[in-house]
Amino acid sequence: MSKVITLQAFFEEARAGRLTGIRCGRCGELAIPPKEFCPACQERAWEPLPLDGRGTIASFTVIRVPPRGRAAEAPYAVAVVRLDEGVSLLGRIVDIPLDALKVGLPVRFRPLVRDNQTVVGFGPTV
Amino acid sequence: MRRVAVIGVGVTKFGKHERTCAELFAEAAADAILDAGVSPRAIQAIYFGNVVGGEGERQLHMGPQAASVLGIPSVPTTRFETACATSHAALRHAMMEVAGGLSDVVLVGGAERVLNLPTDAATEYFAFASDAAFEQPAGITFPGVFALIARAHMAKHGTTEEQMAHVAVKNHRHGALNPKAQFQKEITIEQVLNSAKIADPLKLYDCCPFTDGAAAVVVASEEVARKSRRPVWILASAAASDSMFLHVKKDLSRVLATERAAEAAYRQAGRGPADVDVVELHDCFTIAEIVATEGLGFFEPGTGGVAAEKGWTSLGGKLPVNPSGGLKAKGHPIGATGAAQAAEIVTQLRHEAGSRQVDGAKVGLVHTLGGNTATVLVSLLGSE
Repeated sequence: MSKVITLQAFFEEARAGRLTGIRCGRCGELAIPPKEFCPACQERAWEPLPLDGRGTIASFTVIRVPPRGRAAEAPYAVAVVRLDEGVSLLGRIVDIPLDALKVGLPVRFRPLVRDNQTVVGFGPTV
Repeated sequence: MRRVAVIGVGVTKFGKHERTCAELFAEAAADAILDAGVSPRAIQAIYFGNVVGGEGERQLHMGPQAASVLGIPSVPTTRFETACATSHAALRHAMMEVAGGLSDVVLVGGAERVLNLPTDAATEYFAFASDAAFEQPAGITFPGVFALIARAHMAKHGTTEEQMAHVAVKNHRHGALNPKAQFQKEITIEQVLNSAKIADPLKLYDCCPFTDGAAAVVVASEEVARKSRRPVWILASAAASDSMFLHVKKDLSRVLATERAAEAAYRQAGRGPADVDVVELHDCFTIAEIVATEGLGFFEPGTGGVAAEKGWTSLGGKLPVNPSGGLKAKGHPIGATGAAQAAEIVTQLRHEAGSRQVDGAKVGLVHTLGGNTATVLVSLLGSE
């Protein structure tokens, strides 16, 4: 019987610097919580899997026209990062010059806290 | 299931309006009812689409409000919301109600109004259609979502910014022929490439505009349709989804929901991509048209950019795409877009599209995409 990792739990862990994935106890599929059934085999047997937080940029963009309330932050980069374990995560890029971004660039997870909300961020590997 | 036809269409001018969504929808609906040649009393249900009315007009429960303004307040209404695919989802469900025999005549469409809002507010409301825990807090926007797709397509297939620019130039050329279009002005490749950056690699002219407008169609049973002026048959209508989360998509260069919905629609209709004469598809951004032409089976994966560059998708080309000007030039009132695309295909199949008519068009395809490529509807319409 799997224990569901809630969004709240995922982001509380993330705030402490720990990324939590889940692995299907039947077929081994990896995912980011929350999730009930495995999309691959339809089993309901997730096990928590700590993620190292290292990965490479699969795609990225530089947001120059931001939503309301973010004008002071623009321009900023958002990327989809393929983590080493095989799952991907979208996050804000920090401390990497915008013109140095490219597909395949290694990055590392770091939590960003904004208005008491934890946001997934990725920065340089060292 | 019974055969179902579109028997009437109505579309407002797209652009800026000083009228509410309910007023805009009522105008399009009245035009569609008159075009159908039925009495307003014949309408048995209204399937109404709207996305950000709660945020933009502080107005929910817009269905009965629109019916009241239209002047048929006793007709049951249902509101649909599947982000930018909203009124195409409404169309599919209206078709199912008629096909299933519950009603003979159903009015379907949608309205949207956002030009009364500052750009940053509209950008924020549209971003509500991305995930509120993982994506919105990172500062993603809809141009940003399609920029991620564009970058992945460029990295995998070598698609260029100039190929994307060809989509914008072509759709503006088509829009110049459409008196309802928001932009009726041709642009050049250089203008696109030199326009302001919005979300790299997408620039201003890679993006559809914010738009106010409404569209409506009347769908009817075969018995009713046979008595109408020029019925256009719904040969298939299919919906498909894909993960809501961008981070789950294993290949950002593809839109799996488009591929799934297209496959289902072709199977329903017993036809294939080669049978399609004219297409209205969801070009919210130039890259979206390139990816859609691949996912719908018109061009091999990775060659949609080449098709745009060679003019194959232009009026007069081998497969005209978005003769209306598309979302790019005609405009994109998100809750109305699916119905507006269907209205254009009906107009094309009735051979009433004037200077933007695709000669001899008999089968048309409508493709509408919602949100983070999580919802797609594909319908096939035919004159026979």
